[in-house]
Amino acid sequence: MAVARRIAPAPELAGLFPRIAPQLPGGGALAEVRERAWRRFLEQGLPSVKVEAWKYSRIPQQVNRPMGLARPETPPAAVVREALAGGPHARRLVFANGIAVPSLAHLGGLPQGVRVLPLEEAIARFPERVAEAFARIEDDRGFTDLNTALCRSGAWIELDPGVELTWPLQLLFVAMGGEAAAMTHPRVVVRLGEGAKLHLIESHVSGRDGAVFTNAVLQAEIGEGARLVLERAVMLDADQTLLDEAVCELAAGARLLANGATLGGGLVRGELEVHFRGEGGEALLNGLYVTRGREHVDTAVRVLHHAGGCHSDQFFKGVLDEQAHAVFAGRITVAPGAQRSDAYQVNRNLLLSDEAEVDTRPELEIEADDVRCTHGATVGCLDPNALFYMRARGLAPEVAEAMLTYAFAAEVVERMVDADLARKVRRAILRRVPGGARLETEGLLEEVPA
Amino acid sequence: MNGKDIPMAMLEIEKLHVSVEGKPIIRGLDLSVDAGEVHAIMGPNGSGKSTLAYVLAGREGYEVTAGTIRFLGQDLLAMEPEERVAAGLFLAMQYPVEIPGVSNMYFLRQAVNAVRKARGEPEIKPGEFMKKLREAAKLVGIPEELLRRDLNTGFSGGEKKRNEILQMAMLEPKLAILDETDSGLDIDALRMVAEAVNRMRSPERAFLVITHYARLLNFLVPDRVHVMIAGRIVKSGGRELADELEAHGYEPFTAEAA
Repeated sequence: MAVARRIAPAPELAGLFPRIAPQLPGGGALAEVRERAWRRFLEQGLPSVKVEAWKYSRIPQQVNRPMGLARPETPPAAVVREALAGGPHARRLVFANGIAVPSLAHLGGLPQGVRVLPLEEAIARFPERVAEAFARIEDDRGFTDLNTALCRSGAWIELDPGVELTWPLQLLFVAMGGEAAAMTHPRVVVRLGEGAKLHLIESHVSGRDGAVFTNAVLQAEIGEGARLVLERAVMLDADQTLLDEAVCELAAGARLLANGATLGGGLVRGELEVHFRGEGGEALLNGLYVTRGREHVDTAVRVLHHAGGCHSDQFFKGVLDEQAHAVFAGRITVAPGAQRSDAYQVNRNLLLSDEAEVDTRPELEIEADDVRCTHGATVGCLDPNALFYMRARGLAPEVAEAMLTYAFAAEVVERMVDADLARKVRRAILRRVPGGARLETEGLLEEVPA
Repeated sequence: MNGKDIPMAMLEIEKLHVSVEGKPIIRGLDLSVDAGEVHAIMGPNGSGKSTLAYVLAGREGYEVTAGTIRFLGQDLLAMEPEERVAAGLFLAMQYPVEIPGVSNMYFLRQAVNAVRKARGEPEIKPGEFMKKLREAAKLVGIPEELLRRDLNTGFSGGEKKRNEILQMAMLEPKLAILDETDSGLDIDALRMVAEAVNRMRSPERAFLVITHYARLLNFLVPDRVHVMIAGRIVKSGGRELADELEAHGYEPFTAEAA
């Protein structure tokens, strides 16, 4: 019997929206957008393993079960302090289970032309604009619709043309597990006017273990010649699930630098979709996953060259230990007429255990002829030449292995912009790599040039 | 034994046979190097020079089918690569490996401390390490900036070779093997590297210099020169042998060996 392409929502999930809709922020146009998204979600359901893009993902099955909606909480101060990034001037919004915690926000002194506010506040102040933004992204994943329908918090970030926010802005998401599994659907809307510049840091950490399903959606409109640096670090517990979709639209000459690192979380799926809407855009996408135990990390990148003369570069690396499973699917689409497109993709994986598994697959749809496009994927073990080289300098094999594993992963970290975040990621790598803790005590991190 | 008048050579290779993937590369090689000496091994491509270097350093994939190697009286072939380093052997490699993500300086300190630890010595103090490193770097012409960079990453061919000599200076081996260290070096770099090696020459230390060309040996004057052809040493002599090779090439020897 053929497996259906869609999974029907479980009754508890299917009955959720009508019950909670009256409590969701925003009426009028936004309520209509939510209603429409919900209907589509019910019709389409969740993607099953029959849908190519979800072939290896366990998330749809995993989250299609009774789950409460997350409630407002205050995350532990120590966890927040530990997760701060962006340097001393960074501005910040903190979320507990996807819901903004006003007392922990730090948004003072933002320059003229920069508006950063919790989404619920944006909904209260200009619901039509939020509704219009929400309606902009509709896809067939099911999860985006689920987010649109059920979203109750998040962030609204808007920069007027020509404005630069010189300090990083951090969105710190703290997952707070409880007795029962909870789900949350935060939404982040980023709008950069022509020539505006923003450095956004998105952190996902655990404040308390216990099942939490975060279904996050970030949508960014990057105006002509504007620049967005989007850095993301995920350090969750083994019973926590994160589905994080970022959809970025780049106008002519717009630039995006997206750096992501996943260093913990039972099921983590990062989706990154980039649309080149105008000529001369650039998207540099770098990602790292270091996984162990039974973690499942899934990366889905989609780069769509609708306009010509744009440059995209995907650089993703992974280290897998124990029974970890990683998936990388990178799609490059070059539309007819999108001439002079440059599109590159690399996915390299290091397997430290026979039981770990990687599924990596590039997908290219090139419909223009004047295009430079390369891709390469590798799955392998540590380089014996490098191991020998290090042993021939006196290092014990286990030290050489730890150092090489760290180095393999750190290559991605070198592309990170925020030094605070990079340091945290480096430390997390060392703590996950066999023998890495010893390297940390021996000062590996101190001598890394800042 | 063997008519040697010195009781214990630093390195003693007897009737060595080595195969790579079942193919014999070294075919009955004898070599003895005493402390304080500089030996040069010269030979054409494919004569087995680099194979010898790798076998001495303990690289995998080189099968010793017969013969013995003793280093300071110990059975070298029974030792792991890192044990050989701790015992005082160092190979400056022909193709140093790039290791992005590990800084040159950190790696050097790890290496120095690993060797010290294996010898039962305490770790080097950070201040002492830095002082020694700066001196050595100056000697081989490695700018401070390269010390902070990732190991060999983005280094030019010449910088990599200098970095090998820097590592050698930091690890202070008893026997240093230089595998084609001169290739890829311009004349100034060559002179600098030779000068660094010359400064390290001492009655307790020996060098085995593997090279294609006599060029390096103008600056780094050997006590003995060996001609290696098809996996054997076919002739040994003083430094004048290098000049002879420079003048006439390997052909006369190749004909002899065949």
